[in-house]
Amino acid sequence: MFVPSGYVVSNSCDNQNKIYDLWRHCTTIQKTYFINTPHSTTETALHFFCEELERFREWLTKSFEVEITEENLKKTINIFNENRRLLRQVYELRRQKPPLVSGSEALEIVLSSMMIPKDEHNLLLRRLLDEIEERSIPFEKSARLLVSGSVIGNPELLRLIESVGGCIVADDLCTGSRYFWNLIEEDGEPMKAIAERYLRKIPCPFMYSSEERFRHVREMVKLFDVEGILIFSLKSCDVHSFDAPLLAEELKNNENLPVICLEWEHSLSGIAQLRTRIEAFIEMLE
Amino acid sequence: MSERRLEILKGFYQNYVKPFYKTAHKAKDEGKLVAWVASTFPVEILLAMDIIPVWPENYASLCAARKVSVPLCEKAERKGFSKDICSYARCVLGSLFDGENLPEGGIPKPDILAVSTCACDTHLKWFQVANRIFKKPLLLLDVPYNVESTSPEDLKDYHIKHYVSQVEDMVSLLEEHSGTRLDEDKLRRTLELSNKSSNLWLKIQDHRKNIPAPMGAREAFSAVYFMLCIPGTEEAVDFYERLEDELEQRVRQGIGIVEDEKYRLVWDNLPLWFNLQMFQYMRSLGAVVVAETFSHVWAGTLDPSEPYESLARKHLLNMSNCTIERRIELIMGLVKDFHADGVILPTNWGCRMMTIGETLMKKKLQEMADVSSLILDVDSTDWRSFDEYRVKTKLETYLKTLK
Repeated sequence: MFVPSGYVVSNSCDNQNKIYDLWRHCTTIQKTYFINTPHSTTETALHFFCEELERFREWLTKSFEVEITEENLKKTINIFNENRRLLRQVYELRRQKPPLVSGSEALEIVLSSMMIPKDEHNLLLRRLLDEIEERSIPFEKSARLLVSGSVIGNPELLRLIESVGGCIVADDLCTGSRYFWNLIEEDGEPMKAIAERYLRKIPCPFMYSSEERFRHVREMVKLFDVEGILIFSLKSCDVHSFDAPLLAEELKNNENLPVICLEWEHSLSGIAQLRTRIEAFIEMLE
Repeated sequence: MSERRLEILKGFYQNYVKPFYKTAHKAKDEGKLVAWVASTFPVEILLAMDIIPVWPENYASLCAARKVSVPLCEKAERKGFSKDICSYARCVLGSLFDGENLPEGGIPKPDILAVSTCACDTHLKWFQVANRIFKKPLLLLDVPYNVESTSPEDLKDYHIKHYVSQVEDMVSLLEEHSGTRLDEDKLRRTLELSNKSSNLWLKIQDHRKNIPAPMGAREAFSAVYFMLCIPGTEEAVDFYERLEDELEQRVRQGIGIVEDEKYRLVWDNLPLWFNLQMFQYMRSLGAVVVAETFSHVWAGTLDPSEPYESLARKHLLNMSNCTIERRIELIMGLVKDFHADGVILPTNWGCRMMTIGETLMKKKLQEMADVSSLILDVDSTDWRSFDEYRVKTKLETYLKTLK
């Protein structure tokens, strides 16, 4: 059985912080670290975060007897950025009518990026981008949808939408566009660049302001020619649940877009009801 | 079994809470600013600038006690806010979305909103939503989460530095916004008063170590009002001096809050604000709550000569900003010092910060302190899932297992 050598948790939300506690008591993993990620993007916060990441670097170095050099960091940043650029290229394919990659496929692609070494994933992505030229998908008029939410760790939910005629062309998800949209600055000090990218990326709702994320959703709507939006609130993901009605209101009133808000759970209980509501929403759009 | 109400608490709401809201509503007429404040924000800073603090959490508890919280929660839910989020937030937001015949004329509108990350994420999100209506400056004190330190002396310097530098920035912003400078003498005085009131509050708690206990949770959840809302004031000190006197007398005379005290309990988290009579019911069974974690999160002496630093030291160690071990230790300490027989762990559904880890806590309390606890699936403010019969039965059954 695979047992990790350690785990690292970021100070994102209460749920995450408590995971740090629970895992300490429910697993035998000895090496644990908590990164005190700030919740604001001010210069003070950035400075604090840079120092925090230096401390984390020191812990990694000591705990695992590794060397983290400036050169290695720069090299890794390049590989990660390459992954982000390639994922963007995959997402570009979804701008087409019909999109060459489905929503559930795109989710699988991003999720797999989180689970295997980035340089390996880059090879897979390059192959995909080559092979996809051969793909032909019959054009079926269906409403172009954007899915907004937090963590969707299983494509089943998106397949459900697709099974009732939904064509998911874009997303605003922790496990979707927000995972890779922002690059790390490749000039200058690597640690500072990493801190800046992670602190000031399109934010998760635990951050001081959600405006940048709402702007990102509007941008996705334009780029991908979105016609309808599904906002998913994951049960107990409170920071997103507070944002959901605000985002919905903004999209409905300011952008004149049809929006549906849905609550769901990782276990997908209540899936029948979800399907009915999603089906009705899609029918309404068409 | 007779109830022995404390004299000082008679008319508490009329004498203290009602005037507080009246003053806050009239603030503009007196040229004063009103701030919405979330608990664990260093309110002494605001008090020193003559800014009137208003606590949406207190307002939610008041709405629950007046049995109007659920209709207000429903108003928020109709606007799309999930039933799973904090009921305090839903209640207060509901009152903003659709406010008619609200208690105390509704929650006073803020000129500033002030929140820290110390307690929970919900404070910030709640205020963000409310601020879409108010459009006022929203101050966020980004408090580093404390993973390792257990005392003011072993706190990390860089955590304190980060806290202090943000407070300094905040003070500049407040001065700019209010047009008045922070009065350092007033701040010193406020901190001295805050110390006085928290020392008195701890003395008050100490009296509850006596058998029988002179005061229970019903009284504590009213009296804690000053610690939560206006700690650095003459009013707080005065009230706690009188409360402390009354308890001292009762202890001397051996008068317990319940005539026939059989079971002594520690209560974690919030009470059922909509059903404070539950404590009376427990007393009818001879059970008294001798300590609440809520009453013991205010510890920490402030140093008037180092105001920001001592506020940092105090708040960084707040139980809500620390890992679960601190909460377990706190409860274990309370069980021991207050000679408790058992622990009640109400879930307060919607409060992630307090809810996650309850089963672990129950397990650890049994393992480490040989004390049993009862988890109650209830909410402090939203009574829709509350099954009174079931809760009472669970309590009765649990009490029978003690001793």
